[in-house]
Amino acid sequence: MRPAASSAIFLAVALLLGGSPARAAMSKDQLLQLLRTLDDRQQNNGDYKSLIYLEQKEKDKTDVVREGIVYRRSADQKLMILFSKPKSEQGKGYLRLEKNLWSYDPNVGKWERRTERERIAGTDSRRADFDESRLAEEYDASDEGDDKLGAYNVHKITLKVKEGVDVAFPIVKLWVDNETSNILKRQEFALSGRLMRTLYYPRWQKQYSESKKGDFWYPPEIRIYDEVEKANSTIVLIKAVDLHALESNIFTKAWFESKSR
Amino acid sequence: MRQLLLIAARNLFQHRRRTLLLGGAIGGVTALLVILLELSTGLRATILRSATTLMTGHVNVAGFYKVTAGQSAPVVTQYEKVLELVRQTVPEIDFIVERSRGWAKVISDTGSIQAGIGGVEIRNEPGLHKVLRISEGSLDDLAQPNTILIFQDQAKKLDVKVGDTLTISAPTPRGTNNTLDLRVVAIAKDLGLLSAFNVFIPATSLRALYQLREDTTGALMIYLKDIRLVPAVHARLRNALPKAGYALMDNDPKAFWQKFDSVNREDWTGQKLDITNWDDEVSFVMYTVTALDVLTGALTFILLVIIAVGVMNTMWIAIRERTREIGTLRAIGMQRARVLSMFVTEALVLGLSATAAGALVGMLICAVLNAAQISVPIGVQLFLMNDTLTLLADPLKIFGSVLFITLCTSAISLIPSFLAARMKPITAMHYIG
Repeated sequence: MRPAASSAIFLAVALLLGGSPARAAMSKDQLLQLLRTLDDRQQNNGDYKSLIYLEQKEKDKTDVVREGIVYRRSADQKLMILFSKPKSEQGKGYLRLEKNLWSYDPNVGKWERRTERERIAGTDSRRADFDESRLAEEYDASDEGDDKLGAYNVHKITLKVKEGVDVAFPIVKLWVDNETSNILKRQEFALSGRLMRTLYYPRWQKQYSESKKGDFWYPPEIRIYDEVEKANSTIVLIKAVDLHALESNIFTKAWFESKSR
Repeated sequence: MRQLLLIAARNLFQHRRRTLLLGGAIGGVTALLVILLELSTGLRATILRSATTLMTGHVNVAGFYKVTAGQSAPVVTQYEKVLELVRQTVPEIDFIVERSRGWAKVISDTGSIQAGIGGVEIRNEPGLHKVLRISEGSLDDLAQPNTILIFQDQAKKLDVKVGDTLTISAPTPRGTNNTLDLRVVAIAKDLGLLSAFNVFIPATSLRALYQLREDTTGALMIYLKDIRLVPAVHARLRNALPKAGYALMDNDPKAFWQKFDSVNREDWTGQKLDITNWDDEVSFVMYTVTALDVLTGALTFILLVIIAVGVMNTMWIAIRERTREIGTLRAIGMQRARVLSMFVTEALVLGLSATAAGALVGMLICAVLNAAQISVPIGVQLFLMNDTLTLLADPLKIFGSVLFITLCTSAISLIPSFLAARMKPITAMHYIG
């Protein structure tokens, strides 16, 4: 049995158990398996390309909508975001090479090294929102039991960052739909325990992936609310997902600069 | 010479109206120049006084620590060893202040600002007590943990008063987000651009925000007994620290918060020290002094051209009126050089007396303005770094400007004087004006 299939069965069993009121708390192994399943659903094991729109709302400022393309390669965890609109943002973007995230501005013609945990284009989104999910690798989970999220029955888990791993938010809470095992809500907390961001995933879509030989899941829309500056929010729209192989040489600064011109 | 002076004085007195008009113009320009010079000197002194208390020492030993190549923090680790070395290297030290540094978002319920965070031990900061004028609350309350001092304009933007809570949000050196809730204990009067970018919290709170150890600080701010020693001390430290095994950053005359991008672009990790002086740390506000100096220069140049035209014109009139006199003087044996000297001396006497009077008037106006403690609007405060108009006399600069304008007026009079001296006695005597 393929690992993805066994994980799915496990998750179904775990969440079914979760549906009963007297359900016992999940063990450490069960929680780890659950995280692996959540990661696996969103991993493609190949290349990925999608069109994204970022709608940024900030207090006392005009809303800004950015259009860009996200390129990803699972094999060496490469990521590239290239903005195409508005005109002022055209050619700007990010390139993740090994453990470094580089930002490029064609107006200056310089590459700036950024932290992987930085905001993307000054919005409330982070690099991790566009990258493959690595929950099992980065966090330890604890069971918070069942909950209700609007009309949905959900399972709630709290994640704490593993020792020695650097992440933007050391504590994360997830609301996972019992029926579909989709993440519906995510809350991220600072070291101090203060809530920093709330993310909602109103829809999930699946697409068959040749490289994975299975379904690849992605949220076409992510609503991100800044919980510190309450008036700020960002909506991420993910469209035209393409899982075919990309050119081998695109994750380079030279390629990025050629597209920036 | 005495004769020439006497002729010049008598001639100027004889044409009183013309002398008063031209002398008044020269005096006016000198007075304006003196006022602008005092404003520039006052501005420079205010920046030096405020900046060397708020955000920099005369010389600073600071630096950056990078956990990864792309994530830097303005931190000096194991600062006590560095401090000891600095004390050994610089005997001219008056005192040293350890100041933790940060760059974070300060957030209230209604707004947010990005600001440089100064982590202070308020009991060890006599300078802050001298420079900051508290409009609300108490500076000494900053000794309590999780408190904050902000400035009036910041309080207005954030819509907070003493007792309200602010949140500071910043990533730690490892890039993990952290926040700190702080109580506003003091609101200080604005100090122009310098106060727009600074807030103060207790050093322990800053360490908690950035998850730093006790043996870390942001900068060792060195205050010297004589500020003129800054370049020498700067150079000596740049020489001594690498010898003791410390890695130094290249000299970059900018404020520390302007260096994050370039530091993050570089490949190194670990600790590098950065030595700056007060001039580097306030480079982002020194444009105001430069702008004022440029304005002074441009204005002086334009007015000098106008005066030059006036002086030349007046000299032409004088020579025209005195052509026959020149002819007679030349006929009875006065040499050409002497005729030239006669007219130049007249211009020199006029220039010197007018500029001296102008400088006196200028200084008097400055003294009155200083005594009046005139409050300036917020827009002007940003430019002046102060909430009141401060002018400061620099005797050397004033003397220089008096000399400069006098020399200019005398030099311009050379042209008509030279032409007057070249006249043939016979032609001049027959001249009918």
